[in-house]
Amino acid sequence: MPPALPADRGIIVKYGRLAGTVAIVVGGALAAAPGSGTAQDPGVPETHPLIGTAITAGRPGVTLTIGLQQDLDSPNVTAGYLVSSFELWNLQYATLTDKAADDFATIPGLAESWEGSDDGLTYTYTLREGLEWSDGTALTAEDIAYTVNRSRDEEWINHSSTTANLTATAIDARTVEIVSGVPDPKLPTMDVYIVPKHIYEPLSADDILTYDALDGVGSGPYTLEEWEPGRSWTMVANPSFYGWPAAGPTIDRIVFRLFENGDAMAAAIGAGEIDAAHNIPAESVDPLDADPDIVAVVGQQGGFSEIGINAGAGGIGDGHPALLDVVVRQAINKAINREALLERLVLGYGTVGATVSPSPDPSWRPEIPDELSLSYDPDGANQMLDDAGYLDTDDDGVREMPDGGRPLRLRYGQRSESEYEPALSEFVIGFLEDIGMAVEPQVYDDSALTEVIGRGNYDLFAWGWTPFVDPDPQLSYFTCDQVTVDPAEILYNDANWCSEEYDALYAEQNVELDPERRREIVHQMLLLMYEEAPYVVLFYDADLQAYRTDRFDGWVLQPSETGPALFSNTSPSYVRLRAAGTAAPPTTVPAPASTASTASTTSTASTVTGSSGTGPVTEPSGAAVPTSPPATVGPTTAAPTTAAEDDDGGGSGALIGIAIGAAVLVGIGAFVAGSRRSSRDDRE
Amino acid sequence: MSELSDVVVPGSAQSPRSVAWARRRRAAGEVWAAFRRHRQAMAGLIILLAVTVMALVTPLLADRTGLSAVDSLDNPVWASPSGDFFLGTDNLGRSVAVQFLYGSRTSLLVGVAATMLIVVIGSLVGVIAGFIGGWVDSILMRLSDWFLVIPFLPLAIVLARILGPSIWNIIFVIGVTSWPYVARITRAQVLSLRQRLFVERARALGASRRHIVRQHILPNVAPLILANATLAVPIAILTETTLAFLGLGDSRNPSWGKSLEEAYTAGAITRNAWWYYLPAGIGIIAVVLAFTMCGRALEEILDPRLRERR
Repeated sequence: MPPALPADRGIIVKYGRLAGTVAIVVGGALAAAPGSGTAQDPGVPETHPLIGTAITAGRPGVTLTIGLQQDLDSPNVTAGYLVSSFELWNLQYATLTDKAADDFATIPGLAESWEGSDDGLTYTYTLREGLEWSDGTALTAEDIAYTVNRSRDEEWINHSSTTANLTATAIDARTVEIVSGVPDPKLPTMDVYIVPKHIYEPLSADDILTYDALDGVGSGPYTLEEWEPGRSWTMVANPSFYGWPAAGPTIDRIVFRLFENGDAMAAAIGAGEIDAAHNIPAESVDPLDADPDIVAVVGQQGGFSEIGINAGAGGIGDGHPALLDVVVRQAINKAINREALLERLVLGYGTVGATVSPSPDPSWRPEIPDELSLSYDPDGANQMLDDAGYLDTDDDGVREMPDGGRPLRLRYGQRSESEYEPALSEFVIGFLEDIGMAVEPQVYDDSALTEVIGRGNYDLFAWGWTPFVDPDPQLSYFTCDQVTVDPAEILYNDANWCSEEYDALYAEQNVELDPERRREIVHQMLLLMYEEAPYVVLFYDADLQAYRTDRFDGWVLQPSETGPALFSNTSPSYVRLRAAGTAAPPTTVPAPASTASTASTTSTASTVTGSSGTGPVTEPSGAAVPTSPPATVGPTTAAPTTAAEDDDGGGSGALIGIAIGAAVLVGIGAFVAGSRRSSRDDRE
Repeated sequence: MSELSDVVVPGSAQSPRSVAWARRRRAAGEVWAAFRRHRQAMAGLIILLAVTVMALVTPLLADRTGLSAVDSLDNPVWASPSGDFFLGTDNLGRSVAVQFLYGSRTSLLVGVAATMLIVVIGSLVGVIAGFIGGWVDSILMRLSDWFLVIPFLPLAIVLARILGPSIWNIIFVIGVTSWPYVARITRAQVLSLRQRLFVERARALGASRRHIVRQHILPNVAPLILANATLAVPIAILTETTLAFLGLGDSRNPSWGKSLEEAYTAGAITRNAWWYYLPAGIGIIAVVLAFTMCGRALEEILDPRLRERR
């Protein structure tokens, strides 16, 4: 039986979340504000019904509110794929091994230690003592073995790139043995979400994909309490979480509140209605950071934005036939001025894109040799199209196919949930117009766009990915196995592109234990894909976020210095947050030192030995000065006060507009009233 | 203009037709005279003429490339009004003035074209229902009830979403959702006209239905329809603005509603970039107000019910 690559693994993570590297913390404002505001959400008053006083922040009743624009697609870890859902799972499901906040080093998670065999194929993990699910059921090696084996058999989307070659056996309640069928450079890292066997076992393979997963049973720090689609979802602290500092959770509830508009979200954090915001508009970064109580974060974790081109490998749908031609795809790549887009769309936050980014670690990305470069060159693109016979035969400004038939009119799937999308669409239309292609934008929400792409009924679309720490999952998305051939089962190769050469290289790196050699193979793969041009990688994104320091201290960036504070690889901030001004909790999880013995060949795993439960807390400069007094103001008074005081001019534009509009209306009204009276006088 | 009498002068060469036209000319002259005395109506008319002229000469004033984000890459973003950019630039460096000028064309086109559609459908349905009566009336009125009962905006949004973003679809959507008002008013007027003596006389003299409708009904409901049409234009313009603001507009055609939507999503309000959203907002208010002022005046002058009340 040929081992090698995890063939036909069905579905895999899409738009997955994780990990980061190069970035900058913009600003780092100091948290010295006079304490207004409490840690409580004004919408969820936690005041005592009789006494009527607010409960001091840092005690039960504390709510953290996060603003974002992307709703969950599904809380079900076997079905969801959006970044927002990953944040939910990061909080709800602990993993066998965790990742350090600083550098993604593999650290103990549910497992307190592990040991590898000499051949590197077998790892034995020992679980922490007394683990429990949030409903009180014991969490044992059975749950681990169950998750690994079933996710492998049923090819769960968020597990199978890790578990495809693994077999897990529960030796006893606290010991699980994991055997890999092939040499696996990813082990001993086991970062898949462990699901509760007692909840999932009754579900059949068919039922599991449609399970609503609102059970709220988890092993992580917070579990799902309620989801109101389109509005918010709420998570509550899980008292059984193994990693709480001795004092237990300091935040009782996290509300993820959805905003339709990034500007409104930025205004909400400015006014103190929310405590943190993810994906704020680039324009609001500086104004928010200027607020002494707010820190704006420009975090990079390897994510990238791309324009996908339907390369038609799946043979389904109605993609434009011209896009099957690599020349046309390359011409589209050359028509896009990525520098201009970076500057205009995200004000330069991020870096200009080239190849796909498979990991937060930029060293996985190859240098582009000059002769392969597809950077901005509209004249070259026009020349290529002319030479290939795509000419504008009827002089309407749009080229036709070489046989003189169908014009190069391309549909463009535009995400309604993207912060910079209307503008990007304007640019795509303009840039492609310059090379004789007409673009017709069609707006979709994320779920609808996924469907359209899955059916192959698209020509172009714009979206993005956030890779995991290990490059394997992101690379796997572009294999032929991931091309959707049945719209009922939408897979992840949204470029609809298939290359046998790429697949062979993928299989090779999948079992290559020498990191340098593996890096070379990955470079080859990415260059190959770059040349075949099913994607126009626009830029390597920065996650633009903001958090308030007057309510909570302890925000951490993952990775340190450069990463985002929220929606990062393992979302370490939440566990460490505490109400501003309260005593700092222990910065380490009471975890035994790891006894990982086998020297791992991967860089991430090699730092494990002897490290404490979590890395040292890296604190943003602002959070280190908790000078604000304990926030004890009642929620009812806090909201209006902060709204008025924190108005940094954000709302004054609207005020001016309204004032002028009102003045115009009043003037016109007076005029009309006056003339009406006079005309009535005339008549009488 | 010489004074003409309704009475055919014996021995003169005037045909009945020319007499009718002369009478209509005189009536129009009276309306115009009444209109001119109406100060707000004249103010509205002047605004409308100014905007119409602006819309017509726009291609001479500014090149369409000024609307393109790609062609504006050299411009500064969020520039406040200056000598180079009369109304400043937006988040993509495009001139707001150019967008304003081209936006006026879309807003006026949509307003007028949609109103024509409303008038055609509405008056056709109203005249047929009112004149024929019976089960035809019942069916048509139930149909108009149906459109009246359905909340207008959601219906327009759904239709616009299904049909796709194009300016002609927007016009169609506004037209097919707004005609019942005109139909109702027309029908009521036709019902009352039908009972009038001159219609009875014509019928007694053996005039065909066709003749009666063309010669007696239509000329008498036309002024009312005109007044209502003038009032329908601002509604059409505001609907276009609403749909555009909700992102359902024609993405390739600048309109004032689209400008407002873009200004809003780009964060112009947070940035105090008043030059981005105020021109479009004031433009819409001015045009809508102008049409309303003209329409109200026309209604007062032409609607017999309003006239009697005075």
